[in-house]
Amino acid sequence: MRRTGEEQRRHVALHLALIAFTLLAVYPILWVITLAFSGGQSLVVVDLPAEPGFVDRLRSVLPWPKTVSLKNFVDVLVDEPFGRWLLNSAIVAGATTVLGVFLACTAAYAFSRFRFPGRRSGMMMFLVSQMFPGTLMMVPLFIIIVKWLHLGNTYTGLVLVYAVTSIPFCVWMLKGYFDTIPMEIEESAIMDGATPAMIFFRIILPLAKPAVAVTALFSFMTGWNEFILASIFMEEEVAYTAPVGLRFFVGGFTAQWGYFAAGSIIISLPVVALFYYLQKYLIAGLTAGGVKG
Amino acid sequence: MRLRALLVQPVTLGLVLAAAAGVLLGEWFFAQAQDELLAERQEREVVMQAMAFADLVAAVEKAAQAGAPPLALLASEWAARHGEIAAIRVVRAGDALLLASTDPKDARPQPPPRRLERGEKRLYDLGQELRANVETNAAEGVFRKKQVDVARLNRAALRVSVPYAVGGRVVGFVQVEQRVGAPPAPPAAGRTAVAIAAPLGLFLLVARLFRGRAPAAGRPWVQYGIAVLFLGAALYGAARDGLADLDTRQELFAAELAQHYVAIKGEVQAAAATHALAVEAVTDNRWDVDDYQRPRAVIGGDGTIARAALAAELDARDTRVARSLWGNAGLSLLVLSFVALGYARRLRLTLVAHKTAYYYVTPAVLGMLVLVFYPFAYGVTLSFTDTTLFNENLALRELWVGFTNYLVILGDYQVLRSTEGGWVVNYQNFYWTLFITIAWTVCNVAIGVSVGLVLALALNTKGLRFSNVYRVLLILPWAIPNYITALTWRGMFHKQYGVINQVIQMFGGEPVSWFDNVFTSFLTGIATNGWLSFPFMMVITLGGLQSIPQDAYEAARVEGANRWQQFRHITLPYLRPTLIPAIIISVVWTFNMFNIIYLVSGGEPAGSNEILITQAYKIAFEKYQYGYAAAYSVVIFMILMVYGVFQNRVTRATEAIA
Repeated sequence: MRRTGEEQRRHVALHLALIAFTLLAVYPILWVITLAFSGGQSLVVVDLPAEPGFVDRLRSVLPWPKTVSLKNFVDVLVDEPFGRWLLNSAIVAGATTVLGVFLACTAAYAFSRFRFPGRRSGMMMFLVSQMFPGTLMMVPLFIIIVKWLHLGNTYTGLVLVYAVTSIPFCVWMLKGYFDTIPMEIEESAIMDGATPAMIFFRIILPLAKPAVAVTALFSFMTGWNEFILASIFMEEEVAYTAPVGLRFFVGGFTAQWGYFAAGSIIISLPVVALFYYLQKYLIAGLTAGGVKG
Repeated sequence: MRLRALLVQPVTLGLVLAAAAGVLLGEWFFAQAQDELLAERQEREVVMQAMAFADLVAAVEKAAQAGAPPLALLASEWAARHGEIAAIRVVRAGDALLLASTDPKDARPQPPPRRLERGEKRLYDLGQELRANVETNAAEGVFRKKQVDVARLNRAALRVSVPYAVGGRVVGFVQVEQRVGAPPAPPAAGRTAVAIAAPLGLFLLVARLFRGRAPAAGRPWVQYGIAVLFLGAALYGAARDGLADLDTRQELFAAELAQHYVAIKGEVQAAAATHALAVEAVTDNRWDVDDYQRPRAVIGGDGTIARAALAAELDARDTRVARSLWGNAGLSLLVLSFVALGYARRLRLTLVAHKTAYYYVTPAVLGMLVLVFYPFAYGVTLSFTDTTLFNENLALRELWVGFTNYLVILGDYQVLRSTEGGWVVNYQNFYWTLFITIAWTVCNVAIGVSVGLVLALALNTKGLRFSNVYRVLLILPWAIPNYITALTWRGMFHKQYGVINQVIQMFGGEPVSWFDNVFTSFLTGIATNGWLSFPFMMVITLGGLQSIPQDAYEAARVEGANRWQQFRHITLPYLRPTLIPAIIISVVWTFNMFNIIYLVSGGEPAGSNEILITQAYKIAFEKYQYGYAAAYSVVIFMILMVYGVFQNRVTRATEAIA
């Protein structure tokens, strides 16, 4: 479409407003990046004089470090146990993704394709379970996982809980997607002598790739971002996940903002990348879930 | 009927399963009761020791003169006579003094008598607690607070603390740590086998005897009736036998305790004589006491057993066990009916008919049952108890408080209190937190929707360049993990170094201590959550805007409608189906947005900015009142359910399930 110069001129004010708002919106992120590259641990990137004037203050809030250094990134990965925590998180989130996708896909397929007694009530129960407050589950989960199953400080305990808690949302989303795949495809496959397992793995799952991808993203984010249950289950420092560890940099008595910022960037990068890659499906899934439930 | 055919009959199968379930579970109850009995006997033994020694201590403290023997000597003499005693401590609570101890670890930094160390705060606390409990009970005239502290260090060691009084006032306590033996409970394998096999054998016998003779015997209802009778008889027999075992054992224990009492009495008299102490003359037995230091009256002052009192104790215990056994019997009857009346068969047939479907759902359903629904049920059960960190090892039945937690949460309307300085808000009150939660949710959703809507309209302007660049950048806050956002904003609101106060000072303002004021603290949460929630609304709205047909606007323009009229009558109605579900879902998200409140303001100041979910978390994990926190969470769940029903009505979601 051709744009006239007159139309562009009308948009100047709009552009100015949008630029201002966008700057405001990305400012906290720029600020974290600045802290991370500043090489220091302080919340302010420049040293303020005793009687700071307008310019000094302005300099201190501009997201531009005095010196640029990778020191915080190197330190956080080498000196601190943060590297270990990242590894823990990666393992937990990865395993959660695999298990969560498996559990959700199988259940959603059954709910979508079969009519069996208990189907309606089962789906209703999944829906209601979304409203269980996390605080109600924490103490019982602690008793089950740590005291009865002795899975405290292990990956298994966290993975089980994360994968299962992500089931209801994933099942609802996947079921919605499976419903849109025409039955005829399966019927012709059955005519050709395919078993239910073959239909599921060879036909349905490949067709539902976008929805499976979102399920995977959701399960991954659950495992990657959760920190409350992780902090309850993982008592040994070596077993912390990255979010639990990250809080230590700025919670409590010390405030290592540089480490926090560097760690935040390392943690956020994979999620943000995945998010942008899959956002279109995520939004579709969310709205579909919203309409249905 | 052939025997094999008889065995796979639903009734026979049900009888076997029910008898096995009922008897095995019953044996488990008996094993529990035996353990309890043993634990009680061990506790009573140690409590008697401690009480007796406390009398000696009281006598020494009362004498308080030069001639009185040091408590250390008394304690070591006493411990020497009882090899099973690991340690005796005497603590005078009021002035935090450790008067005596036979534990070598207590000899550092210097041997008692000495002041309690910082690391021994537990002893000091225990002393204060026991004294407070005794005084509360005396003042109220009701025995509500425990006056004897019994701690099980491990399976074979107990630590008992009893207060001692001088001149009618509790001044300190005696603590005895003692190893206790654990004689095994009598085996009951024979009873178990007979109770399971007998009804089945009888049933088969009856079935064979009446084969062909009485046509009625072949009818399923008659068979079922006979099976119920035999099951009842078997369970009754097993229960009687088990209860008799318990009674015998308790009588034995009573006799042992009586001997123990006589021995201790002799020791106290001997010690009093050697050290010339004026121990109060003992005519009745004041040492064998319950948790409230009330004499149990089973063992008399001269060591004889009061038969009537013992029988009452036995009866009380039997009634308690019998109650569990009745529940147990009901359960086995249920099993019998389920199998015998063909429900089990029908269930099996259903499972087989839809085999594939059930294979597919089983993993997820199993996981949900174990890690979602069971914890939920457990949590709801906890909400009817006063479980805390300190009593979580007790059985829930002992902590049962009914609806008390709910009454305390919902029945406290005292949001405002009048004090000398004016009206004060009770920030711990449920209704205050509910008010904050609603304000929080409404503000956030309103901000998210309006900012998102305005941005979406701006980005949707026809012919706007770079709109994709804006879009990608503006989504960023949503993509970043929200706990990182929260911690970042906490840093930005830092009083001294945070950028927000720098900007305020840049324009000559005074720095604000954001988290010290209810309102500003509330604003920090709103700012943070607003920042991370507008992109969602923006993206959703953009999607909705793109689906609006352009000719609707053209038609409106032809009709002469202005921009506002177009927005009001075309844009908004078309956006409704996308916006309403998005608003509904973001209400639930915001209502439960734990991370932002918890990490940004932490509910400061003084818990005034907690929302329901963070308040429940703090009650559970900072105050360790698990039962109360569970009730709090159930209330949250109820609110969400009511909201869910309401939203269901709005969206008619029920139709989508079919």
